[in-house]
Amino acid sequence: MNQHKRRPPGRRSPRLAVDLRAALGLTGTLLKFLSVSALVPAGVAILYHESPWPFAAASVIAFGAGLGLERVGAHATTIGFREAYLVVALIWLLAAVFGAIPYLLSGDPQLDRPVDAFFESMSGFSTTGSSILTNVEAVDHSLLLWRQLTQWVGGMGIIVLALAVLPRLRVGGRQLLESEMPDTEGDSLAERIRTTARRLWLLYVALSVALACVLALFGVAGIDRRMGLFEAVSVALATLPTGGFMPVSGSLAQFAAASQWVVVVFMVIAGINFALVYRTLVRRRWRRAAADQELRLYLGILALASIALVTKIWADGLATGEAAVRHGVLQVVSITTTTGFSSTDFASWTTFAVMLLVGLMFVGGSAGSTGSSVKVVRHLLIGRTLRRELRQTLHPEEVIPVRLNNLVVQEKTLRSVTAFILLYVGLFVIGAGIIALDTAVQGPSLSPFDAIAAAATTLGNVGPGTGIAGPPGSFASYPDVSKLTLAGLMWLGRLEVIPVVVLMTRNYWRVR
Amino acid sequence: MYPAPAVKIFVIGAGQVGSTIVDALHGEHEVTVLDLDPARLAAISQRFDVATLEANGASRRALADAGVRAADLVLACTSRDEVNLVAGMFARLEAPRATTVIRTSNVEYIELWRQGQLDVDFVVSSEIETAHAIARVIGVSAAVQTDIFAEGQVQIVEYDVTDGSSTDVVGRALRDAVVPADSRVASIIRGASMTLPRGDDIILPGDRIVVIGSPQAATAWGELLAPWEAEVTDVVIFGAGKVGTAIARQLLEQGIGVRLIEENRERARAVAEAFPKARVYNVSGLDPGFLEREQIGHAQAAVFAMREDAKNHYAATLARIHGVAFTIAIVHDAVSRQVYEHAGVDVQVDPRQVTAEEIVRFAHDPRTQQVSMLENDRFEILDITTRATSEYVGLRFREMPIRGALIGAIVRDGRAVFPRSDDTLQAGDRVIVFTESDRASDVERVL
Repeated sequence: MNQHKRRPPGRRSPRLAVDLRAALGLTGTLLKFLSVSALVPAGVAILYHESPWPFAAASVIAFGAGLGLERVGAHATTIGFREAYLVVALIWLLAAVFGAIPYLLSGDPQLDRPVDAFFESMSGFSTTGSSILTNVEAVDHSLLLWRQLTQWVGGMGIIVLALAVLPRLRVGGRQLLESEMPDTEGDSLAERIRTTARRLWLLYVALSVALACVLALFGVAGIDRRMGLFEAVSVALATLPTGGFMPVSGSLAQFAAASQWVVVVFMVIAGINFALVYRTLVRRRWRRAAADQELRLYLGILALASIALVTKIWADGLATGEAAVRHGVLQVVSITTTTGFSSTDFASWTTFAVMLLVGLMFVGGSAGSTGSSVKVVRHLLIGRTLRRELRQTLHPEEVIPVRLNNLVVQEKTLRSVTAFILLYVGLFVIGAGIIALDTAVQGPSLSPFDAIAAAATTLGNVGPGTGIAGPPGSFASYPDVSKLTLAGLMWLGRLEVIPVVVLMTRNYWRVR
Repeated sequence: MYPAPAVKIFVIGAGQVGSTIVDALHGEHEVTVLDLDPARLAAISQRFDVATLEANGASRRALADAGVRAADLVLACTSRDEVNLVAGMFARLEAPRATTVIRTSNVEYIELWRQGQLDVDFVVSSEIETAHAIARVIGVSAAVQTDIFAEGQVQIVEYDVTDGSSTDVVGRALRDAVVPADSRVASIIRGASMTLPRGDDIILPGDRIVVIGSPQAATAWGELLAPWEAEVTDVVIFGAGKVGTAIARQLLEQGIGVRLIEENRERARAVAEAFPKARVYNVSGLDPGFLEREQIGHAQAAVFAMREDAKNHYAATLARIHGVAFTIAIVHDAVSRQVYEHAGVDVQVDPRQVTAEEIVRFAHDPRTQQVSMLENDRFEILDITTRATSEYVGLRFREMPIRGALIGAIVRDGRAVFPRSDDTLQAGDRVIVFTESDRASDVERVL
C-alpha cells in the first residue's frame, strides 16, 4: 500500500531504469543454491580428518545472505535484460566472496589474508587458474578440493551463461549461437536456461566423470603411479571448465605422459562449443560438426601453433622426441583453451616460444565452450569484416554480407564483435599499465613483458603468467592493488566484458 | 479429315497477357474473356471475335453464370496472383474436367504446385519464363532468341548474321556451305521477307536466320556466326527486382557469373544475402564513374531489368557507350520494344509475351507438345506428333511440298533425328516444324 503513496514534489529520488529488487531477489536465490556446493569439501574434510567447519560456516553464511537478498528483493517471475546484466555481474562477484570464506576461516598461512583469499576464489569461479599458493602440498585436502570445485561450479555457470543467457543479451558473437539450439527456440529465458542447463550439464558431468575414471584407472593400473583417486578427480574438476588449478605443485609435470595426453584430449573437447559437442556426441550429427567453420579454425590454430612450438623447442634443444611433441602440444592446447595447465616451466623457454604462448592467450576457446578470452568465432568474424573493408576500398558500391557457416551475420553482430575486441584490448592495456605502475612503486620488479602477460592471462582466464608468476611460481608476491586488479580482470574477462562494463554507464541506471 | 478440335477457352484477365493469349487463340477456338474493366474488354472485342463478359473471375457465382462448366481450358492470367489462384480453384470446382492454368509470380505458389499441393494443372510465372528466355539467349552466343524442344535434344536458335561471321556459311550457296552436323537452316529473314531456304539460297550479312539442330550444333553455329564471342562468364544485370533476381538465379544455375546492380539499399542487401555467388552493387546503374570503376564495359552481356523502361533505355545506351557488346532489355510497355531496338539494344524480352506464349501452349492441339514464337509471334515452331492418316507419312523429305513450313527435326522412339532429304516421315514421328503463325493451324491439320 505504501508504494502507492505520492511522494512530495521536489524531493523525488531519481527513477532507476533497472528493477533493482528483482535483480537482487534472483541473485539471492542463486546464491542460496550455490551455498550447497560447500558441503562437498566439508564431507572430504571429514574423510581426511580435517576440520569441516570452515565449509559449513561458509555454507551457512552464503545461505543466510542469499535468503536475506531474497527478502530485500522481490520475487519476479520474469526478468528483463537490464536486470540480467546485473544478476550475472553480481553473482560472479558474490560467488568469489563466498568462495573466499573457507580459505579465511581455515587459517591456512598462505590463504588467510582477505585479498589473497579473494584472488584465489575469483580465480576459481572465473575458471582462470592463477594462484597465490607457493607451496600447494602444504594445504589441506579439503581446501584443495574446494579450489578445484570452485572452478568446476564456475564452469557450470559459464555453460548456462554462454549458451542461454548471453545470446539473449546480444553480447558480441554469441547471438549466432541462438540458432544452434533449435529445440529451445521461442521459449522464455527461464525455460531456455532450464532446458539448456539440463542437457549440457549432464554432458559436462559425464565428460568430467569419464576423465576422472580414465585417470583413476591409470593410477590403479600402475601407468601413472602418482595418480590417486583424489588427484584424478581434482584434474577432472579443473579440466572441463578450462580452469587450471592443480592440487600438486608443478601442475601436470608430476604425472605420467599417458595422463598428460588424455588431459590434452579433454582440454581440446572443453574448448569446443558445448552445443556442438552435445549434437555430435549425443545426437551423432558428425557432418555438421565437420562443416562448422569455428571448429575448423579452432583445430587449425591448435595444429599450426603446436607444429610451430614443437619445432622451436626441439630446435632449441629444450626437449626431444615424444617429450618435445608432448610439451609443445600440451602447452599450446592448455593456453589456447585458457585452461592453464603446464607440463614444464614454459616461462623459461626462449623468447619466441614464450611470445607465441602469450599470443595464444588472446585466441581463446570456441564460443559456447567453457574457454574464455576473445574466442575463435570473434577472430573469424573480425577477420572477415576486415577482409570486406579491404575489398570495399576497391569496390565502394559492392554489398558484401559476412557469412558464418553459410548464414548471413547481422551487421549489428559484427559491430558488437568489433566493440568487444576494442574493449578487450583497451582493458588489457589498462590492466597491464596498472600492474606495471603498481609493481614499479611497491615491488617486486617485473619486466614489462611480465606485466603484459599477467594482464593477458587473467583477462583471458588462462592462469599462469611469466617470470615469478610462471608455471612453477605464483602471484603471491604481487602487491595488493595488482592482485585486486588481476581479480577484476578475471571477472571482466569471464563475463565477456560487456555485461560488466555496461553497468558502469550512466544509461544503464537512468531512464534518461 | 480430322478437324482441329475446337476448344472452349475461358481467359480470366484482359490485360496485356490476356490480350496476347486471345490474339494467338481466337482464330481457331471459342474464347470467352472475363474482366472487371469494361474498357479493356471493349478493346479486345473490337479487335477479336471473342465473347467478353464484365465479371469477377475470383467469384464462383460469376464463373458459374459465365458458363465455365462447359470450358475445356481455363487460363487465369490477371496481374494479381491471388485472383488467379482463386479463379483456378473455383474453375476446378465448377468444371472438374477442364485444364486450368494460372499465372503467378509468387515463388511460394510455384513450389506448392510442384509439391502437388495446389489443385491446378499448370502454373506459369512471368519472372521465370523471362529468366528462361534470357538465359537461353545468353547461353548461346550471337543468338537473338532460342528455345529448346524434345527434352533438350533439339534447339531452335535465331541468329543475326554480321560482317564478322565466318565465310564457311556466309556468302555462299547453302549446298556449298560448311554447315555444322545435325542442323538445318529453317529460315532466312531479310527485312520483311522470309524464305524457307533451298540449296541455292545464300546467307548474307545483315540477315537473320533460324536454325534447328542439336545443342552442339547450336553452339557451333554461334561460333561460326560470332567467332569473336567467348564463353559467357560475366553478365551484368541492372535492377534486382523480381525479374532481375529470377534471371540471376537462372544464370547462376548455369554456372554463368553474375553482377547485379540495385539502387535500393535494403533490396541490394537482401539480394546480396540471397545470392552468395553473385556480386551485388548498391548504386544507380546510371553513374558513369561506377561503370568505369567496375569495368562494366568488359561484361559479355548486360540485362536491363529495372522497373522503368525509360531508365532501362538510358542505362542500356550508357552501357553500350562503355563498351558492353550485348544488351538485353525487359519490355514493360509495348512501345518500348521499338525504342529499345532503335537505341541498338540487341534483344528485347517482353515478360507478358513470354508468359502468354507459355500459356498458349496449353491451348494447342493435344498432339502438340510445345509451341514457341519467333520474331514477335510472326513465326511459330511446333512440336507435333504425326497421325497415320497424314498425307505426308511415307513421303521423302525432298518430295514434300513446301507450304510455308519446314520440318527441322523428328523425334523417333524418343531420340532426335535431323532428317536428310532421302529420309521418310513415319506415322507416330514427333516432328518439330517451323512455320509462319498464320499457317500453324494448317500445319497441325495436315500432319
